[in-house]
Amino acid sequence: MKEFEGRTEQEAIAKAIEELHIEREDFDVEIVEPVRKGLFKKSNVKIRIHFDDGSNLEPDTFEDDERELEQPINSELEDKLLAFVATILEKMGYEGSVSIGFRKERKLGLNIESNNSNIIIGRKGKNLDAIQLIANVYAGQLDPDMKVIVDSENYRMRHEEQLIRMAFKTAEQVRKSGRSKLLEPMNPYERRLVHTALNDFGGVETKSEGDGLYKQIRISNERN
Amino acid sequence: MEKDLVEYIVKSLVDAPDEVSINVIEGEKSTILELKVASEDVGKVIGKQGRIAKAIRTILSASATKDGKRAVLEILD
Repeated sequence: MKEFEGRTEQEAIAKAIEELHIEREDFDVEIVEPVRKGLFKKSNVKIRIHFDDGSNLEPDTFEDDERELEQPINSELEDKLLAFVATILEKMGYEGSVSIGFRKERKLGLNIESNNSNIIIGRKGKNLDAIQLIANVYAGQLDPDMKVIVDSENYRMRHEEQLIRMAFKTAEQVRKSGRSKLLEPMNPYERRLVHTALNDFGGVETKSEGDGLYKQIRISNERN
Repeated sequence: MEKDLVEYIVKSLVDAPDEVSINVIEGEKSTILELKVASEDVGKVIGKQGRIAKAIRTILSASATKDGKRAVLEILD
């Protein structure tokens, strides 16, 4: 990628062709600063040339930090956990395979692949959460600092996105109508996501109501 | 089989796996599993606010649905 300037777009493109020795069809042009008619003179146009110089050929090895596969933190524990979750699936009567999804600090992500993933995930991720809880208790015996995340079909990320979208939508309604709204019961992790997402959302405030693990968040207009 | 499933999970969580026993009462539509563990291990299978027991029951139900059956787990103490 390279930038060029000229009095007109055509002039800038001509400069690019000359300097880079490439054909017009071999690159894309992005106009960074279009021509502005100034009071006394026309300012230059700045274009950005996108062409294939080999620098884009490197594959994206890491899409996302969280998916980064670092070295095993404790490979013995990993093997035991993989076997533990795989055995649970097998004894539940569902075919599937378990693999390491990601490793991040003291977190280990396990991914379940199965044709029965809808049952393994369950309604609102209920079954996945249950397997995750048991896997965490089991892992805790081997390494108390280890945290295990069990996922299937990318459910966790899809669910988080959906939760945040719902929170924004509801907050918008509250802001418009001025009437507070009570969200469905959520676990502490989900509530924290919603509180954090709406922290910067002006005009509304959030509060948890109820007892126990599954409290409900009320979104109401901010009192000044 | 549901008994195997619960037995495997419970034995992995307790200190005294040899003292885990499950009595199965097979009904027409539902199966009742009576779980017995060493008295020191009861807390381990129930968990804070019953969280572990609830998770085991959830996994058990998810397994039982494939046969169109209901499975109930009772923890004896």
